[in-house]
Amino acid sequence: MTAELPTIAEAARGYRDGTLSPVDVAALCLERIERYDRKLCTYHRVFADEAMAAARTAEAALGRGEDLGPLHGIPVALKDVFYWKGRKTTSNSRVMLDFEADEDAGVVTRLKEGGAILLGQLNTYEFTFGGRPSTEPPFPPALNPWNTGRITGGSSSGSGAAVAAGLCLGALGTDAGGSIRLPAAFCGIAGLKPTIGRVGAYGDMPLTYSFDCVGPMAWTSEDAAIMLQVLAGHDPRDPMSADVPVPDYVSGLSDGVKGLRVGLIRHFYTDDFASPPEIATAIDGVAETLAGLGAEIEEVSVSSLIDWHAAGRVLVPAEAFAIHEERLQTRWDEYGRLARNRLMLGSLFRAVDYIQAQRQRTELLAELEAVLARCDIVVTTGMMTPAPPLDDTEPFPFIDVPTIGIPFNLTAHPCLAVRAGFFEDGTPIGAQIAGRHWDEATVLRAAHAFERAAGLLDRRPPLDG
Amino acid sequence: MGNRDAMFDALIEASGVPVSEDEKADLRKTYFTLMDLAERTRRPGRSWEVRTLPHFTPPAPDDDR
Repeated sequence: MTAELPTIAEAARGYRDGTLSPVDVAALCLERIERYDRKLCTYHRVFADEAMAAARTAEAALGRGEDLGPLHGIPVALKDVFYWKGRKTTSNSRVMLDFEADEDAGVVTRLKEGGAILLGQLNTYEFTFGGRPSTEPPFPPALNPWNTGRITGGSSSGSGAAVAAGLCLGALGTDAGGSIRLPAAFCGIAGLKPTIGRVGAYGDMPLTYSFDCVGPMAWTSEDAAIMLQVLAGHDPRDPMSADVPVPDYVSGLSDGVKGLRVGLIRHFYTDDFASPPEIATAIDGVAETLAGLGAEIEEVSVSSLIDWHAAGRVLVPAEAFAIHEERLQTRWDEYGRLARNRLMLGSLFRAVDYIQAQRQRTELLAELEAVLARCDIVVTTGMMTPAPPLDDTEPFPFIDVPTIGIPFNLTAHPCLAVRAGFFEDGTPIGAQIAGRHWDEATVLRAAHAFERAAGLLDRRPPLDG
Repeated sequence: MGNRDAMFDALIEASGVPVSEDEKADLRKTYFTLMDLAERTRRPGRSWEVRTLPHFTPPAPDDDR
């Protein structure tokens, strides 16, 4: 346990052996929100009274031996894109300020039924389109707790920053092009984009139709595994949700990586784009650490990152524009300038552009499947550059700097961002570990082994500096 | 690809979205890069057997399972 805040795993154990209480941990999160979030802006809304009532209920239930599972009594928070009955869901847009769903998102139901304490709704880039945060939407951008002059990465900006700052123990994010993994990397936490269909996305305001995923963000990969255990499962309201068995993600976490075959995709961050040497050193170091634990490392090649980026830059905006077309035509002024212009990019493709990109997606999938036929996992960087400055005004940064998250959205493979090191200025460096379809368990096991061996998770952001 | 400026103007017009002139200027600059990326998704000689993702196949009737 850290001096101030437990992980989800530590809290769950502490609740059951009597050393921690849901009421105390929820109160600690709320105190930290009160103390730090005026500056960090990670939350859109905090429901303190309701959260404390839920914590007291959880504590009483656990005391009676009524155990709803590993998230029972755990304080978590939601990106402000999930339907939550009785609450407004805004996606940080003036267009949605009055929207209130009449039912919960599937994952919100799962968290409630699992006894989690829902602290509030977390910041997001407007309508979850990544790039830079805008200062125009209703809620100001979340700041990176490691350096408040830098962006958090997006679009799950509040989720990444709140977990890193200890303002909740876990959070939900969404990811259509890296929106869980980039903020996880920039904020130095674990963020998992599961296989498409593993977690039901019903009630998640969509950015796209063929990429959107819901996943957990937490301090450790162990905590991400615990959250996934509760979130995973079929939801017939989501046509992409798969009716497949959900394995035990937690019990095998400590089985190690001896004999695991690891493909290292170096050319993404060395040849295809010249990332800073600290990134290359940190990501190479992940492979070296895994090798030291008995894994077999092979450097592998796939198409240039620019090819993956190209397909993603056609497909994601095109699908997003289709979703927003009518509102953009009639409510243009209500969108923030950055969001509406990013969405407009999708209007600039012809149908044939979209289809050719989907065909390229088929070829790229085959490439990664060939690699994963001989490797159990692949490792690459989770970021191409350090977290950019908050005051950078470039409207379309995601065009010129290739999107490192997109390969695993195009192929639907599960992919986890983990802390891999630090820049000299103390901001974190993140790696990505991806695995075979439906095999989140191996990804989580490898990440857990790396985190324990690397010993990088003791460092917390300097919030009082 | 043909005249990109003309294509851009036509696509913005066809979108039916009231984009302001200064925002149109930002979009126009980016459009050229976007079209280069779109060109990159083509591969000369690509077989027509390379199909699109995602796939859809209806579930089999219960009797056939």
